[in-house]
Amino acid sequence: MPTTPTQENDVFRIPIGPQHPALKEPGHFEFTVDGEVVTAATLRLGYVHRGIEKGTEGRNWIQSLYLLERVCGICSHVHATAYCLGVEKLAGVEAPPRAQAIRVLVAELERIHSHMLWLGVAAHEAGFDMLFMYSWRDRETVMNLLEGITGNRVNYSANQLGGVKCDIDGEQADDIRVGLDFLEGRIKHYLDVVSQDTMFLRRTRGIGVMTREDCERMGIVGPTARASGVELDLRVHAPYAAYPEHPVNLVTATAGDLEARFIVRVNELFESIRLIREILDDLPEGDLSVRVPRRIPAGETISRVEAPRGELFYYIKSNRSDMADRVKVRTPTLPNMASVLEIAVGHQLADIPMILTGIDPCFSCNDRMVAINDPSRGEQAWTWEQLRQYGIEYYR
Amino acid sequence: MSAIAALLIFPGGVFLLLVGMIYEWIDRKLVARFQNRMGPRWFQPLADTIKLLAKEEVVPDGVDARLFFTLPVIALAGAMTAALYVPLVGFEASYSFSGDLIVTVYMLSLLTLGTGLAGANTLNRFSLIGATRTLTQLFSYEAPFLLALLGPAIVADSWQIGEITDYAGDHVWLLVTQPIGFLVALIGLMGKLELPPFDAPEAETEIVAGALTEYSGRGLALFHLGKGVELVIGLTLVAAFYLGGVTHPLIFVAKTLALLSILAGLQALMTRLRIDQTVGLWWRYGALLVLAQFLALIVWEGVM
Amino acid sequence: MRLGSMWRDALSALVREPATQQYPFERLQAPEHLRSKLHWDLTNCTGCGLCAKDCPSDAIDVIVLDKKARKFVFRYHVDRCTFCSQCVMSCPKKCLEMANDEWELASLTPDDFLVYYGNEEDVETVLAAAASNGADASSTDTE
Ligand code: SF4
Ligand code: SF4
Repeated sequence: MPTTPTQENDVFRIPIGPQHPALKEPGHFEFTVDGEVVTAATLRLGYVHRGIEKGTEGRNWIQSLYLLERVCGICSHVHATAYCLGVEKLAGVEAPPRAQAIRVLVAELERIHSHMLWLGVAAHEAGFDMLFMYSWRDRETVMNLLEGITGNRVNYSANQLGGVKCDIDGEQADDIRVGLDFLEGRIKHYLDVVSQDTMFLRRTRGIGVMTREDCERMGIVGPTARASGVELDLRVHAPYAAYPEHPVNLVTATAGDLEARFIVRVNELFESIRLIREILDDLPEGDLSVRVPRRIPAGETISRVEAPRGELFYYIKSNRSDMADRVKVRTPTLPNMASVLEIAVGHQLADIPMILTGIDPCFSCNDRMVAINDPSRGEQAWTWEQLRQYGIEYYR
Repeated sequence: MSAIAALLIFPGGVFLLLVGMIYEWIDRKLVARFQNRMGPRWFQPLADTIKLLAKEEVVPDGVDARLFFTLPVIALAGAMTAALYVPLVGFEASYSFSGDLIVTVYMLSLLTLGTGLAGANTLNRFSLIGATRTLTQLFSYEAPFLLALLGPAIVADSWQIGEITDYAGDHVWLLVTQPIGFLVALIGLMGKLELPPFDAPEAETEIVAGALTEYSGRGLALFHLGKGVELVIGLTLVAAFYLGGVTHPLIFVAKTLALLSILAGLQALMTRLRIDQTVGLWWRYGALLVLAQFLALIVWEGVM
Repeated sequence: MRLGSMWRDALSALVREPATQQYPFERLQAPEHLRSKLHWDLTNCTGCGLCAKDCPSDAIDVIVLDKKARKFVFRYHVDRCTFCSQCVMSCPKKCLEMANDEWELASLTPDDFLVYYGNEEDVETVLAAAASNGADASSTDTE
């Protein structure tokens, strides 16, 4: 079939995705451009819908933990933590303080890893591969630390229902301190680069500005919102696990542009490093886990944690069996994605990858939704009968 | 007979292509080392070329097949023809006539033009945008780049590459007397080769491979070879004009390599410019600066 | 405002070894707590099958040949294992261990991913039964 550019009525649409070098995961954007300027944007998600929520309904409480940990490949630990906290609440148990502290410690290491990964990806989208290579090289440090603590590099499986699996001994604590000292120096350097490099600032300053009102209207969460001055961080406003004992300082900026998003994320790294050091100095003694019954009492609960990308929300319902009745996950990328479509309009095409990466999207995280076609745009909404008919015709 | 040898073996043809690949390898290796990576092994550009040449060439629907096949050939031929008029690796140019500087510069542009047309020839939306960007960028650096090469021509009072290099060899390095021209020529070369930060026309994260998105196999290999050749010629010209003319081949090669490492460093340290920023940069600063120097040179020559 | 603010990194990288590790020639020391291939110790095992039950990826089959005589065969699918160490946590008798020694588990044949632990004659029995029942029967005789 000959391909023709979508040029009806002089409209020039650029498809980005599902397979595109700018996207490391599949998603489909269509940008209508006038020359180089974007005039409209649409989005289609759902290419990596994996049915994880449904999958939990056929697994016992313990097995579901590992399935949910795989919702996201980068922030796997926060998913496990949110789930564990929820299930523990339903079961009426509480993980011992040492376990909670280790959970927070791993979560903060994971935040460092996630933000440094993002820093590299965002720099690459801007065509600044130098920063990309160096931030990823240094990210290796924190990956090694996580591997040393938990035994795995990506899906750490540090949590178990009722606590954690891995302890931190003196030697490991020293390793972490050494690693953090190195990282702190490097991150200071990166802060200089992202806030001072003339060429880089040309691509970030004043680009993709979102006001505080925009953020609140669209429900933006996480560092993206904090870069616009929204004071929202669950570690501060609804502390969980060991955050009540180890308070976090809120990091915000006011500019709301890409530069602010860089600065907020890099500054959060310093906060994470401070927090990890504090926890290491003051690790409570005690058990690593408590027993959680195999059958969880009936009930429903929500559990919220601050993932590297923003608020992560879990709804868990039990009907007194050894399996979950319903688990609902809402990941931070889903609300943030809406902002891309809105702020893209009026920007240069070249800024689009930057704006998209600016929210630190995670596609596999948010593909847990139903795409609804819009009949007013000529997309068909099919009835069951039509769908069936189509299927019969298709396979005839 | 010697003409055919000059075209096919030395200094044109095979030799030129190999030198192009070696320079490309050095460039890639240096950028990699700046980024604390390993970088490719020495035969990588050659291996890439052989692989591409061996691959099937997919002709997309909706293109003019004749243009699709001939454009890469024309682009490479243009770059190779230009090589005949420049003192490659410090040897006397094979051919020379008064005014060959202008011909050389335009032969070099043939590659860019070919790339742009190749992109415009396909229906791919990334290619179309890439082609627009390639041609836009061509118009932004071309004039300053030409002016930067004309600076030495003015002082040497000749439009013939051989005479200019002779002049450059007999006087203090023109780098000292015309620093702006040197800078603009060097950076213009980066623009010509679409190296970062001027790689918006092939910005991978926006428009995949830009104008050449639909090219696979032979066509792509020819365009890549053309790039390598252009890199060699560009470096040769800048070194011969601004760094003391044609000298002993080894010293001359060392000079071009020094220029290449500066290019590699700039590539590594810079962030990609948006196309509007590229145009703005060239017309707002590049063109004005080089024009100012150019006028100063003319006045100077007039007074002398 | 600075141009090329990473020049110091670039220059120092010229005199430094590349950060790339050339894996098969250069192996890093595995960290002490690395989770690699699972090991099973028959001594205390009761054949309760809790480990298999909690494994999220169905990587364990505890085959009970004779509960009285404590004849158990532990079949471990390395390729399915996600190295979460939940089985280690779930085992009430602490029979399981994930040591850090065997982590280069890639293989060209699927057979290498099927590991049998247990007394030799018991493993023979299981293998013989599997051979006679066809490959499919292997999943039915689990706990
Ligand atoms: S480590 Fe996890 S996946 Fe592997 S066998 Fe044990 S429970 Fe199963
Ligand atoms: S849980 Fe432990 S005791 Fe039970 S079957 Fe598994 S290894 Fe044996």
